[in-house]
Amino acid sequence: MRPILAGLDTEYGLMIDGRGPHDQVEDAADFVRALPDATYDRWDGRHENPRADLRGFSLSRLATDPIDALFDAGRSPRPGEDVRADRVTHRGARFYNDHGHPEFATPERFTLAGLAEEDAQGDAVLRRAAAAFESRTGWRTRVYKNNTDFHGASYGSHENYGVPRSIGFERLFAAVTPMLVARAVLGGAGKVGAETGRACTYQLSQRADFLVEPANAETLYRRPVFNTRDEPHADPSQWIRLHVISGDANRNPRSTMRKVGLVKLVLALAEIDEAPTFRITDPVAAFQAISRDETFRFEVALEGRSWTTAYDIFESYFAAAEARLELDCEMVALIESCRSLLTAVRAGRWSELVPYVDWAAKRHLLEMFLEEEGADWRDPRLPALDLEYHNLDPEESLYDAMVEMGLIAPFSAGPEREDLPLSRGEVRGIAVERFGPNLEAVSWRRLVWRGGRETELRPEVLYPCTLRMASDVESFASLVENSTDGRR
Amino acid sequence: MDGDRLTRPLTPEPGRKSGDESGPSTPDVRRPEGGNELLRRMKKVDPDQAKKYRQRSGQ
Repeated sequence: MRPILAGLDTEYGLMIDGRGPHDQVEDAADFVRALPDATYDRWDGRHENPRADLRGFSLSRLATDPIDALFDAGRSPRPGEDVRADRVTHRGARFYNDHGHPEFATPERFTLAGLAEEDAQGDAVLRRAAAAFESRTGWRTRVYKNNTDFHGASYGSHENYGVPRSIGFERLFAAVTPMLVARAVLGGAGKVGAETGRACTYQLSQRADFLVEPANAETLYRRPVFNTRDEPHADPSQWIRLHVISGDANRNPRSTMRKVGLVKLVLALAEIDEAPTFRITDPVAAFQAISRDETFRFEVALEGRSWTTAYDIFESYFAAAEARLELDCEMVALIESCRSLLTAVRAGRWSELVPYVDWAAKRHLLEMFLEEEGADWRDPRLPALDLEYHNLDPEESLYDAMVEMGLIAPFSAGPEREDLPLSRGEVRGIAVERFGPNLEAVSWRRLVWRGGRETELRPEVLYPCTLRMASDVESFASLVENSTDGRR
Repeated sequence: MDGDRLTRPLTPEPGRKSGDESGPSTPDVRRPEGGNELLRRMKKVDPDQAKKYRQRSGQ
């Protein structure tokens, strides 16, 4: 299958002693600025338009959470402040303040392991920023990689995939939506209780409660299962960027790889118009029902008074992929491991998922706590334990404690190799590290050099590793501009 | 008052190989020797931590 470029954008939660959501925009900007790493700081956002919709229209405005407006009542930005505080790391990631959350957007990568490594680098960046911010301010600062504050506010972990525009919205929506509905079984981060709708004790997905429509371009409020934002970050005549916002931020990198790999399988099938067809009656209701189904039957209602299960949805994609695609070793391993995990959960042996799936790991530690304390699922301490699973401080984090105890194996993407072709995200990193003073600005799509030259970074190109050795701007820019396929 | 959102109450409990993945196996949870770091850490968590945790909506 064609290598598919993917990136992850994670908004982290900040908990700063003595501060609150009223202060969060200023605090997140100062937090980003505190990162002690050498970075490049001129981001070019001229071509970004979050209101464009894949269905061919543009929204006049994006919906916002009315409660956030209360936090801003009577406040105004600090004079002259660039509230985004954009920074570009020497690996090509974007680190900035987005709606009061420090957001780490990985450099885009072609492989699952490479992307998981970049995501882990993001966690490390957040830890360094937290230490520096705390040292500068004297305020105890905790960082959470999760998607809810348990009071009805959610923030995102978005996935981005380079997809040929020729697929079209209808085919893409039909192919991807069933996988998004089912995917929490294998990638959910788990959550105590519910923040909307029917009450529950524990569910698989952190985001399910915040989804209200099958498809729309919103991200801050009235969020959809399938996001239709049309902001390609590439030549718009050739590409769209599938912007998945219904997934959870994962602590376990194996879950990160799995959730991305599953969408890539679907996209590869959609490109050749061989994706299985499931006409789900109500994707939002199905998503939420799967998230809350403690029987693990995961039934999904289909149009025509029929029904299927998440297991059948997964297996249909796997079988189609094996029959129709030339799978690389990552995808072969992905399918094999998913089948193994699904077999275990279907048989009720969900604890076998603990080393691999966040919702199972979290449920396991909560049940251990309840047993030790002689308590039950009404125990008011459970949301606090849920939250602390996502704490990035290795001294406090419950996820990290599970790794420390050997319940979850430490993750390694393997040694970095400098002889492999590069993605445009890696090229961006080399550019800002080696030639930062020569750059006027950078973006997802372009390097803008001083003097006006613009170098396009194309999502489909595997750039040659010899770019690492380019000695000057001219040879570097020329090599990037003339690259077609670094494998040759 | 900054506009508390409603958090649903909990109800009683209902009835109830990729990369380096080598396939599921049941974890060995209890480690008698040296105690259980996980339990120790859980007991140290401020029980009101989630109540204090307030965020703005992000994307």
